[in-house]
Amino acid sequence: MNTSLCEVRNVHHTYGSRTVLDIDSFYIKPGSITGITGPNGCGKSTLLRMLAFLEKPDRGVVLFNGAEHDIRPNPVHREVCLLGQEPYLLKRSVRANVGYGLNVRNTDDIEPRIREALHMVGLDADDFLRRMWHELSGGETQRVALAARLVLRPKLLLLDEPTANLDEKSSTTIRTAVEQIRKTDGTSLVIVSHDLRWLRSICSPLIIMERGEMVETA
Amino acid sequence: MDFLLHGFFQAFHLLWTGDPETYSAIWTTVLVSTMSMAASLLIGIPLGFSLGINDFKGKKILRTLVDTLLSFPTVVIGLLVYAFLSRQGPLGDFGILFTLPGVAVGQTILGLPIIIALTATAVETLDKRLKPTLTTLGATPRQMLFTTILEARHSLMLAAMAAYGRIVSEVGISMMVGGNIKWHTRTITTAIALETGKGEFSVGIALGIVLMVVALGVNMCVSGLRKRAR
Amino acid sequence: MEEALKKLLYAIAALTLMLGTPAYAAKTMILATTTSTANTGLLDELIVPQFAKDTGIEIKFIAVGTGKALKMAENCDVDAVLVHAPAAEQKYVDAGVLIDRTQLMYNDFVIIGPASDPARIKGKKVVEAMKTIAAAKSVFTSRGDNSGTNKKEISLWNVSGMAVPDKEQWYVQTGQNMISTINIAAEKGGYTMTDRGTYIKYEANHKGNAPLKILVEGEKVLFNQYSALAVNPEKCPSVKYDLATRFIKWMASPKTQEAIGKFKLLGKVLFTPNATQ
Repeated sequence: MNTSLCEVRNVHHTYGSRTVLDIDSFYIKPGSITGITGPNGCGKSTLLRMLAFLEKPDRGVVLFNGAEHDIRPNPVHREVCLLGQEPYLLKRSVRANVGYGLNVRNTDDIEPRIREALHMVGLDADDFLRRMWHELSGGETQRVALAARLVLRPKLLLLDEPTANLDEKSSTTIRTAVEQIRKTDGTSLVIVSHDLRWLRSICSPLIIMERGEMVETA
Repeated sequence: MDFLLHGFFQAFHLLWTGDPETYSAIWTTVLVSTMSMAASLLIGIPLGFSLGINDFKGKKILRTLVDTLLSFPTVVIGLLVYAFLSRQGPLGDFGILFTLPGVAVGQTILGLPIIIALTATAVETLDKRLKPTLTTLGATPRQMLFTTILEARHSLMLAAMAAYGRIVSEVGISMMVGGNIKWHTRTITTAIALETGKGEFSVGIALGIVLMVVALGVNMCVSGLRKRAR
Repeated sequence: MEEALKKLLYAIAALTLMLGTPAYAAKTMILATTTSTANTGLLDELIVPQFAKDTGIEIKFIAVGTGKALKMAENCDVDAVLVHAPAAEQKYVDAGVLIDRTQLMYNDFVIIGPASDPARIKGKKVVEAMKTIAAAKSVFTSRGDNSGTNKKEISLWNVSGMAVPDKEQWYVQTGQNMISTINIAAEKGGYTMTDRGTYIKYEANHKGNAPLKILVEGEKVLFNQYSALAVNPEKCPSVKYDLATRFIKWMASPKTQEAIGKFKLLGKVLFTPNATQ
């Protein structure tokens, strides 16, 4: 019996004439931290989107908990969450942005959880809660987007360059937060990053991709 | 020329002294334009939404058709609606000819292309990252619809103001379908047409200014809403 | 935010339903009449309020051109008509669309022109005046809109033995209402035919010193006969024939006839009642 959380089988995907993904077999064990790195255009972001069931491969299957899932909104999207590169915030306050996922799940008593999430990403709740989406710097936007996903405690969290636009201090805070939720909630992580040092220190496995293929696994 | 100046002062006189015919026209205008706006928005936003968000065969043709309807003359709409609502017409048994709901039907037809076209554009120009973001945050399709409308709210409010301007200033539909009946279907614009037709130009100007005052009031309310929606 | 939007939507839907359902309490009837009739103020100031007082029935009247008023009757959209175009009325009576035609009152038309009267028509008989205007090629403005007034004007040309000077340069068809047509005649220093009621208003607008004066008046051929007709309930089952009948009878009653005869527009009497019981 396969105990993997996610499985990718014989996936082949093209954009026009270019092969973007060509993966025979890949799986994610529950509670693991998988790191993915590689040059730009190697297919890392596309792979994450497929793991998040936001895009479907031309050929092959992506499984979560042993089953295929639709890319249209369905319950799997309450278990898998993606933080893309250059994340998008809704045109509302920070509080509303961070709380959005909790609200769609009709969760009660979300205020303390929102505050906790902001704290995890290093933003002062009293200052930031009522700020509007257009009153944030690039780095702050990214951290709010991350908080909006951390607060959901998904089974699988996919992060695409989570520390890309951040200064060193904020990067450290994020790295700590990411590692923390795995400890406290058993969240499985897939992290795409160019920060090899960080990935080497926490990820197992660490996968290197090139031109859509997984060429090395550490 | 001095009917302009005379009309200017007459406007304030009519409002200040509470002239019953003027206030009846104001109330009628507010009533029917509210009905028409509500119907245009409730029907137009979902339609514009599906037009903007979906890709289907003939989308371009449909979009061109909607855009062309933006130039539909009000007198022609009035004529068509009259034909349908007349006792001889297919909808005659509803008996809404010469009533405000009848006028509202016509004005809604006037406002719908504006709302649909501008909503479709607003949806098309939404950030492409919105849909995947909402999906990954776990929103259901219905929740996504509401949130998308809210994300587009600034453009939608603009669409609403454009439709309102066209609706509140039209004469052709109110006249043909409403009949300009005193106390019942006489709006500010049909009253202006009546007075200027009788040669009472200064009253026409006065009522025109009254209409602008009403429109100013509406705009101030929307402006307040805009601030809260920021 | 989504909660607020939902609440707003419910409020809008509720509001629309509330406003959209008309609440009709009192007895009402719809009357089609002409713009010139409405503009005399007879309906607003005398007929509508008095009829409501005497019978409790509210008259909602729609003022349009004669042609349109009769068409609306044919479409069963109104209960009765009050017009002044006997020839057209007869056609609709013959067709069985309108019934119970009742003569009520008349006012008259007048031919007006510049005080200087370049064509010299003052005091002439109508037939002679029309011929003179045509011979002098003086500017003559016509409503040209198939209204009752327009039809009357056309009949004057015909009775003078001429066809309507449709293509003549001096014959200006405005396609507009009476006041605009008069103003255009004044601008061009020309002549026109108008109902007395509009002329009274026009004169008052110019504080008694109007550029155009009454030059020809008083002959029977210039009389403008008003009649009320009911829409035939056999052709239009939905019309309120009983209310229309009450209206017509009331208009022809001695008390109302007297009041009509006393009705003044800007201080001048306008109508001569002539309902034959």
